[in-house]
Amino acid sequence: MKYVLLCAAACLLTTAGFGEIRIVTSLPDLADFARQIGGDKVKVDFIVRGDQNPHFVEVKPSYMMKLKSADLFFIIGMELEMWAPQLVDGSRNEKLSVVDLSKGIQKLEVPSRVDASQGDVHRFGNPHYWLDPRNVRVIMDEMVDAMVSVSPSDEKLFRANEDVYLKKLESMIPQWEGEMKPFAGSRIITFHKSWSYFTNWLNLTVADQVEPKPGITPTPSHTADLIALVRKAAIKAIVVEPFYDMSAPEQIAHAGGAKVLMLPPSEGVVDGTGDYIALMSYDVRTLAAALK
Amino acid sequence: MHRSVWWSMAVVPLLAAAAAPGLAQTTVNPDISIIPRFRVESNDGEKLDQGKREFSRPDLQFEELELAIQSYLNPYARGDVILTIPGPDLENSKLGIEEVYASVLRGLPLDLNLRIGKYRAEFGKLNMVHPHAWPFITQPLSQLRFFGEEGLNDLGISASVLLPTGDVYSRLTVDLLRGNSVGKAAGLPDTTGAQPLYATSARLMAFFTLGDKSDLEAGLSTYTGIHDPYNHYRFWYLNGDMKYKYRSSAYTSLTVQAEYLFNTRTVTAAPAPVSGTLNTSGLYMYADYQFFKIFSAGARYDWSEQPYSAGDRAWAVALFLGYYPVEETLGVRFQYQHTETEPGTSTRAVNLLALQVLFSMGPHKAHPF
Ligand SMILES: [Zn+2]
Repeated sequence: MKYVLLCAAACLLTTAGFGEIRIVTSLPDLADFARQIGGDKVKVDFIVRGDQNPHFVEVKPSYMMKLKSADLFFIIGMELEMWAPQLVDGSRNEKLSVVDLSKGIQKLEVPSRVDASQGDVHRFGNPHYWLDPRNVRVIMDEMVDAMVSVSPSDEKLFRANEDVYLKKLESMIPQWEGEMKPFAGSRIITFHKSWSYFTNWLNLTVADQVEPKPGITPTPSHTADLIALVRKAAIKAIVVEPFYDMSAPEQIAHAGGAKVLMLPPSEGVVDGTGDYIALMSYDVRTLAAALK
Repeated sequence: MHRSVWWSMAVVPLLAAAAAPGLAQTTVNPDISIIPRFRVESNDGEKLDQGKREFSRPDLQFEELELAIQSYLNPYARGDVILTIPGPDLENSKLGIEEVYASVLRGLPLDLNLRIGKYRAEFGKLNMVHPHAWPFITQPLSQLRFFGEEGLNDLGISASVLLPTGDVYSRLTVDLLRGNSVGKAAGLPDTTGAQPLYATSARLMAFFTLGDKSDLEAGLSTYTGIHDPYNHYRFWYLNGDMKYKYRSSAYTSLTVQAEYLFNTRTVTAAPAPVSGTLNTSGLYMYADYQFFKIFSAGARYDWSEQPYSAGDRAWAVALFLGYYPVEETLGVRFQYQHTETEPGTSTRAVNLLALQVLFSMGPHKAHPF
């Protein structure tokens, strides 16, 4: 027992001695949350830029270098980051803790059977849950727990910072919901099945995707079906992330009489989306304008 | 107590949690993938001896089936087994071991990585890449002539360290190998039964991020061993490699890769035309342009001498196309290659047309640079 106490004291001293916790996240949005919690107690970096498809990231040694000296690696999980294990191995960092943030999330579209015939990238359900701001509390709780395990002396500070941020974020949620309320029940088309949490939250319906299955490139026959659908259901918006090819969505929009809407799923690429709250405001405002 | 001791104690409780969570999906069953390749091929060189130049009947052939079984052994190590059934004889071909090795990935001093078993050694860049992941169909002449179809693939033990070069990733890998890989390739009698030949190889590489969209990897390798156990003659291979990739979007990228291999060895009169020191070399370079995500087109230039002859030269130009409709689950490649060999004074030119179809079952990994 004495030894355990001694160790605990030593652990505390050590972390204090080393100063900041080094955190790497997969997405820039997660980096934003970690910074909100840690303030100047953390040094945060991320891997996937907002203009890159988080499903398909090339395993580059430069990413391994980011993880080499990190304490924590926050990932979305549910196999969004298929590339993460290779980076973790390549980093050779034996003290790195990989924290899967999806543990407490109410997951959508979890298949009863894992099968590549349903596409290769959502085998464990839909991983795009950060696009529902009501999930941010769950994400941040998980982050705080992990950060406290690295630096127990900062627990109070971390929890207080989390509260401040969540208060600010959650006060925005009714405003966003209000902006979208007139369009409840509207049908949209999205390129990839990445907006399920977002549309679920705002009572919108995704009529179909430009991709025939998640991760599968558009086919001419599916595109033709979508043109017919857009005309029949008078769909106004086709939502596309900045990293997808615009040609199939534009073809559908042009032939069907809809608008292609570029909505960023992560902060930092489009002007005016410098942080998560700005990103959500931008996405809600842009979509609401298109549905008018 | 000294601070570093405290620090290592603090790390211990984290260790158990370190490797597991994000990687947990693969711990129960190994990942298994199966990748068969088929080929239709025709060339106009088969009747040259009879003075005729005509394309041979294109036959559909079974090229090879690759079966990869991969799994973490524990939080520190991984096991990789790659079995192959080589073509073209579907009925009589036997399952062979292409690679079987264990890698220790963390937990060692200096963050050392260790590999033990039979594996494609880290010599140059292309040697570690399995044929199904090449953008072209045929092996570059220099690789074929100096290493054979199997490449530098041998039983051995390998250690690698990351070098303290700041933010730049650089790595030194050193291998101690059984050493019969090259003897086989050069068509020499297999002398491994007589006595061990032991060879060593090493590669120093660095990875440079040139901006948001482009990266460059450069490497220097060396490989040395005894190629003539009776006279105890030594050979050295020195190899420079570079790979550059410019990725302008998720749909479009340009890759340029090149390797130059230099060979120097002590020889007696036979089989080489001279005695003393023989210096020969070989190179390949290719550019591959990926567009609309699912297509690729490129060109390759090869030039090579032989490990035991400077007179036997060959060069080739290849043009290739690739079509990968759904990530790497299905691939179709087409290649045209013009090869000229110059054994001594006469020149022999052969044109090759090849179509390759491959598919891949099993979990798909992210693409390494
Ligand atoms: Zn997705």
